[in-house]
Amino acid sequence: MKPLTVKVNDDTGKSLAKKKLQSKANSLLNAEQVDIKTLKGFVQLLNTPDNMPAGEVMNTLEVIFKNLLKRKAIDGTEKQGLKIKKLYEETWLLLIENLLVDSQCSVAVKVCMQLIKVEAKHPIAPNKGWPTYWIRGMLETLINSDTTPTTALANYGKYCKNLDVLEITLTQLKSLVPDEDFKDSPIKAMNFLSIVNLLDMGKSVLSTADYHVESAKKQTFNYELNRKRLNNLWATIMAKGNEVDEKLHRQILVVLLERVINHLNDPIQLTDFLMDSLHQFDGPIALLALQGIFTLMQKQNITYPDVYEKLYNMFYPRMFHNKYKARLFYLADIFLTSTHLPENLVAAFVKRLARLALQSPTEDAVIMIRFVCNLLLRHTGLQKLIRASHAVDEVSDPYNQTETDPVKSEAINSSLWEITLLQKHVVPEVANAARFINSSLPVMEFDLAPLLDRKECNIFDDELQSKAKQFALNYERPTNLALPKNQFVTKYWDLI
Amino acid sequence: MVAKGKKASADAVYAKKTTRSANPFDNSTAQSSKRGNPFDVHVNKEKFKILGRICKHDRGMPGVSRAKALQKRAQTLGQQFAVKHKTNRFKDNRIGKHLSGDQLTESVMNARYLAEKMSQVRSNQKAEKFNLNDDELLTHRGQTLEEIEQYRDERSDDEELDDEALDADFTAAAHFGGEGDSAQDRQAAIDEMIVEQKRRKNEIAKEKDEVYDLTEKLDANYKLLLPLVAKVTKDEQDAKPPPDAYDKLLKEMIFEPRGSVADKLINPDELAKQEAARLEKLENERLRRMRADGEEDEEASVAKPKHRSADDLDDGYFLAGEDDEGDDTLAYDLDGNLGTHLNGKKEAVLKGDENEDDDDKEGEEEEEEDSDEESDSEVDNLSDLKESESESEPEEAPKASKKKAKKSADTIPASLDTSIPFTIKMPKTYEDFTELLSKHATAQKAIIIERIIKCNHPKLEGVNRENVVKLYSFLLQYLKDLFEDASEQDIREHFQLLSKLMPYLYELTQLNPERMSNTLLEVIKEKYEEFRKNHKMYPSLDTLVYFKLVANLYSTSDFRHPVVTPCFIFIQHVLSRSRVRTRQEISMGLFLVTVVLEFVSQSKRLVPAVFNFLQGIVHMSIPKRDVEQLEITPPFERDGPLSKLLALPANTESTKLEPQQLQPTDLVTQTITPDFKVRALDTSLLLIKEALQLVEEHVGACYLAQPFLALLSRLPLESYPEHVHQHHKDATELAEKLAAQKMKPLAPAEKKPKALRLLEPRFEAVYDDKRRPKMSKAKEERAKLLHKIKREKKGAIREIRRDTSFVQMLRLKQTLQSDKERHEKVKRIYQEASVQQGELNELSRAKKKKKF
Repeated sequence: MKPLTVKVNDDTGKSLAKKKLQSKANSLLNAEQVDIKTLKGFVQLLNTPDNMPAGEVMNTLEVIFKNLLKRKAIDGTEKQGLKIKKLYEETWLLLIENLLVDSQCSVAVKVCMQLIKVEAKHPIAPNKGWPTYWIRGMLETLINSDTTPTTALANYGKYCKNLDVLEITLTQLKSLVPDEDFKDSPIKAMNFLSIVNLLDMGKSVLSTADYHVESAKKQTFNYELNRKRLNNLWATIMAKGNEVDEKLHRQILVVLLERVINHLNDPIQLTDFLMDSLHQFDGPIALLALQGIFTLMQKQNITYPDVYEKLYNMFYPRMFHNKYKARLFYLADIFLTSTHLPENLVAAFVKRLARLALQSPTEDAVIMIRFVCNLLLRHTGLQKLIRASHAVDEVSDPYNQTETDPVKSEAINSSLWEITLLQKHVVPEVANAARFINSSLPVMEFDLAPLLDRKECNIFDDELQSKAKQFALNYERPTNLALPKNQFVTKYWDLI
Repeated sequence: MVAKGKKASADAVYAKKTTRSANPFDNSTAQSSKRGNPFDVHVNKEKFKILGRICKHDRGMPGVSRAKALQKRAQTLGQQFAVKHKTNRFKDNRIGKHLSGDQLTESVMNARYLAEKMSQVRSNQKAEKFNLNDDELLTHRGQTLEEIEQYRDERSDDEELDDEALDADFTAAAHFGGEGDSAQDRQAAIDEMIVEQKRRKNEIAKEKDEVYDLTEKLDANYKLLLPLVAKVTKDEQDAKPPPDAYDKLLKEMIFEPRGSVADKLINPDELAKQEAARLEKLENERLRRMRADGEEDEEASVAKPKHRSADDLDDGYFLAGEDDEGDDTLAYDLDGNLGTHLNGKKEAVLKGDENEDDDDKEGEEEEEEDSDEESDSEVDNLSDLKESESESEPEEAPKASKKKAKKSADTIPASLDTSIPFTIKMPKTYEDFTELLSKHATAQKAIIIERIIKCNHPKLEGVNRENVVKLYSFLLQYLKDLFEDASEQDIREHFQLLSKLMPYLYELTQLNPERMSNTLLEVIKEKYEEFRKNHKMYPSLDTLVYFKLVANLYSTSDFRHPVVTPCFIFIQHVLSRSRVRTRQEISMGLFLVTVVLEFVSQSKRLVPAVFNFLQGIVHMSIPKRDVEQLEITPPFERDGPLSKLLALPANTESTKLEPQQLQPTDLVTQTITPDFKVRALDTSLLLIKEALQLVEEHVGACYLAQPFLALLSRLPLESYPEHVHQHHKDATELAEKLAAQKMKPLAPAEKKPKALRLLEPRFEAVYDDKRRPKMSKAKEERAKLLHKIKREKKGAIREIRRDTSFVQMLRLKQTLQSDKERHEKVKRIYQEASVQQGELNELSRAKKKKKF
C-alpha cells in the first residue's frame, strides 16, 4: 500500500490541473458513448502518483461516476457496461486505499459517501438498495490500518450521525471484530474501538433522525434492535479485552462511558470490571472507572462507600499532565454538589485543591481557585477557613497532606493560606481569581464548564488580547547583560 | 402689653409660690383706670377643662363690642340708609379714590393730572373745534420758550452789575459836598453826571457787541477750519522721518536678544540630588504598577489610623499630617500657579506623556532637570544631541573600559579604532546589515550599531523613525540567527556580543517603546506558536535570549504588562511541559529559571513552575533504587533512567572540583558529564535559596519550602565538593526556617463600624385632640378651605342678620320719629282747632248775651 502523495509546486499548477480535469470530464460525459479509454485514464490517474492532485482526481471521478450511475450506464450486461463496472470497482478500491492517506482521507470519505448515496438511489443490477458492502470495505480498511487513522475516523464520524449509516456500521462491526484477543493485536483493537466510539446513539442523534440515503427513511431506525446489537458488540469486546495494555484499557473505558453504558441492558454487570479498573490502576483509568461507577450509582443505585476517598486521592500533582483532568474536575464538581456532605470531608478537598493550585499550571490554578470558591459557597460552614476570628494565635498548618483519608486530614482546623499566596501569582488572571477571599464571597457560583476546556495557550492569547498597551520600560539603562540590580543570570552563569 | 401681662402672671405665680401672706386681699392688684366695669364683663362658662386647648372666648365684653359694631354699622350701613332714595349724591370719581396717604404715589398723581387735562380738553372741544394751531404753547412772560432760547444772549450780564454803583468821586462830590465848587449848579452837575453815565453805558454796550461779534466770527471761522486741522494733524502723526543709522543701531541694541539663556551650571551635588529624585519618582511609579488594581496598598493601610470611632462621620478629618496626601484641595503653589496637592493623581494623569518625555530624554542621554521637563524644547534636545554626537567617542571609552576591566583584550578604547566610518547609513536590507556586521569584530559591531543609531536618530529627521524600528527588527533577527545555531565554540562570543548590544537595544526601545515592543511581541508570539506545536520540546536558544532581553528592557515587576505577562505564561508553559532529558535541556531550564527569578526579583511574585523545576533538578540528582519512588511533578519522571539523570555514580570522585558557574556551552551540549552534574546541582541549590528568599515574606511560603526539605535531605552529599555542601546547608536552613513558618488564620479585614443611619427628624403637628382622616395634601387643603368657607358663611349670615336688624331699627326709629311728628302735628291742629272753636264759642256766646 503505497500512499499517494502528490506534490504540486504552486497553486497555479493546481488550479490549472483542476481546470484541465474538469474540461476532460465534461467532454467525457457529454459524449454519447462513454469512452472507456478516457475513463480508464482517469482511474489510472488516481492509481499512479502523478503531478495531479489526488483530491481533484477523486472529485472528478465522483462527478463522472455519479452521472454514470444516474444514467444507469454501469447497469446492463453488454460489454461496455461490464467494463465500466469493472472500472467502478477499481475506483472504489483506490478510494478505500486513499482513506489511509492523511492528506486525502477527508476527500476520500466524502467521495465514498457521495457515491454510496447515488448508488443507493440507482442500484447496480444484482444488488439492491443500500450498498452495504462498500461500508464494509471501508470499515475493514480502517480497522486493519497500521496506525490509527484519526482524520479519516473523524470524517467518517460525521456520517455516523446519520441513522442508516449508524445502523449499517453497527451491523457490519459485529462481523469485523478482530479474531485474536485485543492484547495480541493492540492496533487493530484500537482502531476497532475508535470506530465503536463513533457510534453515538444519544438522544439528540435519534431525535434529529437524519438519513444519509433518502430511501432508507422507509425502514425506520429500530432502537431496540440496534441496542441489542450494541449489547452483543460490548459482550464481544468484554470477552476479548482481557489483560490489555493501559492505552487500550483506557479506550475501552472511554467507549463504555461515552457510547455504551447508557444503552446496556444490565449495567450492573459492569461493576466488577469498573471496580477492578479502579483498584488496580491509578491515573486516567481509575478516573474513568470512577466515572463509570458514578453513573452506576446514579442509575443503578449501587453503593460504594469509599468513593470520596478514591476521588480525594486522585488529586495529586501528576494529575495535571493527565489527559482526562477536565473529566476529573467535572466529576469532582458533581460528587461535591451535595450540601449534605460532612464539612471536614469537603474541607479536605478544599485544602487539597488549594495546595495543588500552588504547583499546577496556570489554567488549572484558575479552575481550582474557582472550584474552591464554589465549595465555600455551597458549604457555608467552611467559610471559617477564610473567616477565622481575630483573636486566634499564629499556628503552623494543621492540615496533613499525606493522609489518605480526607476525614482524618484535619483540614477543617486549617485556614486557606494557599489562596493568599496565590494572590501573588505571577499571572494576573490567577492573582485576580485568588482575590475572592478579600471581599465578600460572590452570590452565584462560578460556572466551571468554560474553564475546563482552556489550555495554557488560551491564556497566552487572552493576555495578548487584553488591551493594556502601556509598555512600561526599565528606567535603568543596562550597560551589559546584567541588570543594574538583582542580576541573577550573570551571577549564576558564566556567559561573558 | 402681652409682655406686661406675662410678667404680671409670672409675678403672680411667684408670689403664690413664695410668700403667701396672711391677708387674702393683699395681692389683689390695684384697679387700673383701663379696667372697665366688672359688670360689663361676661364670662363664658366652660363645662370641661380640655388639656391643650386654647380657649379664646372664655370672657368677653358684650356691651363694648356691641357698641363698636353699632358704631361701625352706623358709619357704613347707616350712611347708606340715610342717603337712600336721594338724588343729590356726592360722588368721588378721582383716580385712586380709595387710596390715601403713602399709597398716593407719583404715578397716581400724574394719572390724575392727565385725566384732568383730558376732561378740560373735552369740555373745550366745542370752542376749539376750528382752532388750527391747537397745540398749547408754553410761555414765559408772554414769550414762547422757543423764542427765549433763540434770542438768548450768551453774554453774561454779570459785569454790568458791578458798574451799576456810582463811582467814588461822584458820591464824594454829590453826597458829601465835595471840594466846594458850588459854583456849578447842582442840577447841572446831576444832569452832567447822568449824561456821563449814559455815555459810558453806551460805550460798554458797544464794546460788548463788538467783542460778541468778533467772537461769533471767530467761532464760525474755527468751525470751518476744524476738519482741516484734524486731518493735518493725523497725517503728521503718521509720517515719521526715516530712521537714520544711529537710530537703527540704538534700536538694535535695545531690542536684540542678548544671547540665549543657558542652563545654570549645576554642581555635582545638585546633579546627584536631581538624579536621585528622578529615580525615586520612577521607582514610585513602578511600585504603583506592581500592585494589582484591587490589591491593598500596604503603605496606605499602615498610614491610616487603626481605630475609627462609630461616630466618625467619614468627613475626612483625620489626624494631622494625613491630609497632605489625601486631599485634593485647591491651592496655589509658591509660584502662584493653581494646582492641587494631590501629587499622585496629577502624576497619574500626566504619566503618559511624561513617560514619553522621560523616555525620549533617557534615550538621548542623561539627566535633565525635572523642571526642564515641562519647558523642554526641541532646540534643547537637539543641542544635547549635537553635543553627545560630538563627544560620542570619548564618552563610550571610559564606560567600556570600566565594565570590561577584567578582560584585558578589550581594554583598547574603541575611539581609537579608526577603521569604522563615523557616519554609517542605515542598511536597506537585512542582508546588507549582516554583511556590514560580519566584517567587524565583536567589539566593533557594538560601535557600528551605536553609530547607526546616532546617525539615524529620529530627532534628526522624520524618516528615521522607520529606520530605527527597522534597525531594531534587524537586531532581533540577527540575535536569532546568532543563537539559533550556536555551537560550543562561538556561543560565548555570541553572549558577549549580546552583552555589548544590550545598551543599544535599550536605547532603541526607549526611542519608540510602542513600535519596538510590538516588534518584540510579534517575535515572541511567533516563537510561542512554534512551541505550541510540540510543547514537549524546549524552544530554541534564541527564545531564551529574547526572554533575557525582556528582563533587561522592560519593567518586569508590573502586575500586568503587555510584553512581560505573555512571557511569563510562555516560560511557565515551557518549564512545566517540556521534557528534560539532556544536558542542554537541563541548562535551558535552569537558564529560564534564572531569567524568571530576574523577572520577579522586584515584584516578588510567585512562579510555581520555577519551584517545580528546581525540585525536579534536585530529584534528578538523587540516586534512587528502582523500587522507591519520590513524588515529583511532571515533566520530571518519577522513575526510570531519566529520574536520576544528574545523580553521581557511587564510585566517581568529584569532591575536588572547583566552584564553577554554569557555562554557556552547557546550553548547546547534549552529553552529561560529572562536572556538569555537580555544577547544575550547585547552581540549583543557589537558585533554590534565591527563589525562597524572594517569597520569604509571603504568607504561606512554607508550602513552597516544604517539598524541598524532603528532597534536600535525600541528597548524598559525600560525593560532592565542599562548596556544594555549603550551599546545600544554606538552602536547607532557609527551607527549614520557612517550613516552620507560623501563620495567623485568615480573617476578614476589620471593617470600620457602620455608623448609625441618620434620620431626618419628623416633625409632627401639635396634638389638638381632633382626629382627622388621613388625606393627601391637596385634599387636606381643600377640606380646610371648605371648613373655612363654612365658618365664614356662618359669620356672614350672622352679620347680615345683624345688619338687617340694624336697618330695621333705623326704620323703626324713622317711623317712630315721623309718627311722633304726625302726632304733634295732629295735636297742634287739634289744639289750634280747639282754640278756634273756643274763640268761635266765645263769639257765639257773646252774641247770645247781646240778644238777651
